[in-house]
Amino acid sequence: MSALLEQLTRRQLLWQGNSQHTAYQAVSSGYAELDQQLAGGFPASGLIDIQTEQGIGELRLLLPYLQQQQSAGRLLVLISPPAEPCADMLCAAGIVLSQLVIITPKTSKDALWAAEQCLQSGCCAAVLLWQIPLKLAQARRLQLAAEQGAASVILLRRPQQGLSLPVNLSVKLQGHCQGLLLSVQKRKGGWPAAPFLVDMQHRWPGLCFTTEQHWQARRKAS
Amino acid sequence: MALYLYLQFPALQPDSLGCATVQQLPVAVVNGQHCIVQLNAVAGHSGITLNMALGTAAALCPNLQLLPYQPQLQLNILQSVAQQLYQVTADIALDPPDGLYIRLCNMLQLYQGLPGYWQALSRELKLLPYRYYYASGASPFAAKCLARQQLNLLTGDPDALATALNHSPLRFTELDTDSQQQLQRLGINTLGQLLVLSQAELARRFDSSLLSYLGRLRGSFYHALHYIKPEHSFSRYVELLYDIIDTAVLSTPLHALLQQLEQQLQRINAACHQLQLSLLFRGMPAHRLSIGSAQGEYRAANWLKLCQLQLDKLKLTEPVSGLQLEVTAFVAQQSQSDDLFQPVPGAVSPLQLVSLLQARLGYHSVSGLTLQNQHLPEQASQRPLPLLAGNAAVTALALRPAFLLAKPQRLTEAVEISQGPERLCPDGWALDAQRDYFIGRNNKGQWLWLYRTAQQQWFVQGIFS
Repeated sequence: MSALLEQLTRRQLLWQGNSQHTAYQAVSSGYAELDQQLAGGFPASGLIDIQTEQGIGELRLLLPYLQQQQSAGRLLVLISPPAEPCADMLCAAGIVLSQLVIITPKTSKDALWAAEQCLQSGCCAAVLLWQIPLKLAQARRLQLAAEQGAASVILLRRPQQGLSLPVNLSVKLQGHCQGLLLSVQKRKGGWPAAPFLVDMQHRWPGLCFTTEQHWQARRKAS
Repeated sequence: MALYLYLQFPALQPDSLGCATVQQLPVAVVNGQHCIVQLNAVAGHSGITLNMALGTAAALCPNLQLLPYQPQLQLNILQSVAQQLYQVTADIALDPPDGLYIRLCNMLQLYQGLPGYWQALSRELKLLPYRYYYASGASPFAAKCLARQQLNLLTGDPDALATALNHSPLRFTELDTDSQQQLQRLGINTLGQLLVLSQAELARRFDSSLLSYLGRLRGSFYHALHYIKPEHSFSRYVELLYDIIDTAVLSTPLHALLQQLEQQLQRINAACHQLQLSLLFRGMPAHRLSIGSAQGEYRAANWLKLCQLQLDKLKLTEPVSGLQLEVTAFVAQQSQSDDLFQPVPGAVSPLQLVSLLQARLGYHSVSGLTLQNQHLPEQASQRPLPLLAGNAAVTALALRPAFLLAKPQRLTEAVEISQGPERLCPDGWALDAQRDYFIGRNNKGQWLWLYRTAQQQWFVQGIFS
């Protein structure tokens, strides 16, 4: 390798396609097939972009990850959740409620400010942000704040076209009667992947249809 | 032997105007009878003396700056001086309007004699901008009498003190003018002449107040002094030099106030949870802000950050003329033990973060979540203040939605039911209000929590996310 290349690599200006595992530290998502596709799981820090419709299972996908993030005693912050969060469900999933902070700011500017403060503080492990329009510069700012505080910020928003944001991971979710169809749109140090099924029948049997149930329900409905 | 020190501050009000430009101007304080009662050094140089009439003073010095005499302000300054001196000496009693009694005798052992004590005390006095005169004495009144003569005499020698006291003219004593005149007519001009007279003779001629004064002067009568205790509250007012309408500019005088608070808190190793900041206007009632820190904070920089977040939200319609900062309760400082092996980046604790968020977003925008022992979904979750540990004994119900709608909405679309029914009945077996809950999935793939009322109406109450 030439001296120039070596120098560029050392300054992290050069990225090589075969070094997959070095991009970020992964935390297991709790779903085996997802861990395999994401080379270990969700990123432990940085910005995670999730494009999803509301209510198809996006939070259930994240719960094992959030629970692990929180286990070191740091806070989990929910910023402008779409409705009243329900303690029963979070508690049953192993989230420690005394380490949960819910912020309901009035404007999206305040929401971004709160997110940045939480991320920088170093006492939050994960911040969930719902439906905040994000510009490129703001996303970069959140990403830097998250790296500074070793926290992850998860942006939950509707599927939308537009400029790709500087994120560690961007996935798109679609509802499926046995779980979720997940397609990786962008992954730092990895390739986008074709849609695949994240099977939730084992973890959430009550919120999945088996094939027979599905047809029975269809018949009833018609 | 008892030994007391008296400190007299001749010009508390002019000296408290800390600004350097003000110190260049002749400043005098006038009382209600248009008589000069206090003046600064520059005014003294231009020939003005105490008790001079206002007209004479103005004629002597045309650019004389006048301040009204404010007894309450005077007392506040005196109290703050006493609090400051309390750091080096224990027994201090106020003697309004301008003096302090200090009991010396029990402090001498600590400072190994009078020179060591005076060194410590004068170092503390030097930090304050006030001029002072002092004298020691065997009793509080003896010290006061000597200090009023501006003798600046500090000695423990009883003979020297007695000699100085014997030469004191009567006008420096606490006797009323009638008694003084009466004594002067008898040819008694100094305290020494008065003290040699027998008490029985004096009792026959004068009223009891003279005898009681002489008794306390000699130290033979008990003289009750109310020694101050260290304050566990903080209250300071600062009059702004000019009116301020911009909240960003307010931070400079506010910072000075907060630093005074920090000093006081640091000395007693305390912190506080709540500040009351009042913005005073000329033509409007004061605007009060209460700024809280959940963790308890003493550092001025951190308090200033919290104050600024609240001030930023404020729209001032009128310029601010003064600031008042009040703290009513102090708490003991608690040291946090950080993890030695896993240093967390950023030195913010969860409580500090919550205070910061509350300061900017409002008190009710930041909350926690607790699980209640209730079967009805509306009552099972509560949103109290953040970071409170809830009741750990409550077990969570198995299948509940992640989000509950604030108000149940009518079901308007086709759903596939996957589970149900689960019958929930409100307290008191109100069978009319019972609901059968189902879990369903609509065409968009959303998992909904539905219920059917006794009247066979369908509603969506929650969303499984």
